[in-house]
Amino acid sequence: MRTKTLKIFVASLILGLAYVGSASAQCDSIAKICSENVTADYISDGQSYRALLNGDQVAEFKATFYGGSTYRIAGCSGFTDGNLIFEIYDEDHNQLFASSDYKNTAYWDFDFGSTVDCTIEAKLNTVNVKSGCATMVIGFKQ
Amino acid sequence: MIKTNTFNKLLSLGGAAAFATIFMVGCVSDVKKEGDGGEEPKSEVDSSGTKLMSIGGSMFSIPSPIQTAILIEKSGSDYNKGFLNEAKKVTTYATNYQKALNLGVYGADVGYVTIYDQSQDALKYLGVINKLSDELGITGAFDENTIKRFENNFGKRDSMLNLVAVAYRNADAFLKDNDRLNVGALVLAGGWIETLYFSTQIAAKDGNQDVINRIGEQKYTLNNIVKMLTPYYNQPEYDVLVDELIELAYDFDAIDIQYTYEKPEVDIANRTTKINSATKVVITPEHLQAIADRVEKIRNQIVGQ
Repeated sequence: MRTKTLKIFVASLILGLAYVGSASAQCDSIAKICSENVTADYISDGQSYRALLNGDQVAEFKATFYGGSTYRIAGCSGFTDGNLIFEIYDEDHNQLFASSDYKNTAYWDFDFGSTVDCTIEAKLNTVNVKSGCATMVIGFKQ
Repeated sequence: MIKTNTFNKLLSLGGAAAFATIFMVGCVSDVKKEGDGGEEPKSEVDSSGTKLMSIGGSMFSIPSPIQTAILIEKSGSDYNKGFLNEAKKVTTYATNYQKALNLGVYGADVGYVTIYDQSQDALKYLGVINKLSDELGITGAFDENTIKRFENNFGKRDSMLNLVAVAYRNADAFLKDNDRLNVGALVLAGGWIETLYFSTQIAAKDGNQDVINRIGEQKYTLNNIVKMLTPYYNQPEYDVLVDELIELAYDFDAIDIQYTYEKPEVDIANRTTKINSATKVVITPEHLQAIADRVEKIRNQIVGQ
């Protein structure tokens, strides 16, 4: 009986570790594809943004965008475009952008005339996907 | 034991959520259910395997040190090697805490020297970055191949900057994947402090208004850095840094930032939105000096001067 319990425990542990490992690998693959939207004329901001989302969960990113810069923000989930919806709000929660207004575009550019403290909210397009890794990539040029 | 000043500041930054994180080291969820309202903290044990830098339901993006270094170069400030942390000091960093912070510091330094076309200095800094990342066990980000590609792009400033930035992004991803968010937070904090150090030194010398405004704008980022490091407050060495940053946040409180929303303009054909909202920074010379003094103290503690 104890041997059987131990086997179940070890199997569960291996499956759990495999899930975490595969989730990381999935995020890495999606991030790589997503970064292709941020073309060579943009310099990466040097960070990796990723979250595993289920259903209607929303990932929230706090970001400051500097005036005088153009940013490219790309958001992806899965291996095709349109699976992630992202929205950008200012510090007073005025909506500055919603990708859903543009057919869930995978990327968009933003010219900031002045520095603005923002929140980016990202969620899955549940019509296409029910769960998965959401990744965002940010690049800039000045 | 948490200092009274730190406690008060954390409450003002994020209420109970920020404070609670001091006692909650580990993996917390960065996600919330759609429709969650109010300021109630939503920190949950993350059962999904996601490893993220998350406090009270948010992740933090720290602006790239390269952006401020570009602003400094555009302001007409001359190249000054004296601002940088000496490469030879790399051998003096013994703990992972020191190594991670200085990995961030040297990242800001390599950005600065690259912007000023000091390619040989940049190579020297890439060498120490490679060494520190090896010692921290960060694989697949900085290696001989990165240095070789950097050399092959000599003269192409943006390509060189992007190579460094992508290497840092890969390091950030590696640290998140391997549940080493504390190390990632220190790298970001080190880079941010080093850039703020350049900026304050240059502002004191040149008085350039664009650089002064950029310093004032760091009020936003400082709050995010404090929230990002707070979960590790109870770990050795972190408490001193967080306490210092809290003191700096009090100095930044004297800066008045006035924000005005304006409707954005959309250019669908070019997939571009122009953000017309405006932020005005009001900072007195006295407050600037107080910030410069505090930043110099924190930075010198980090690099060991």
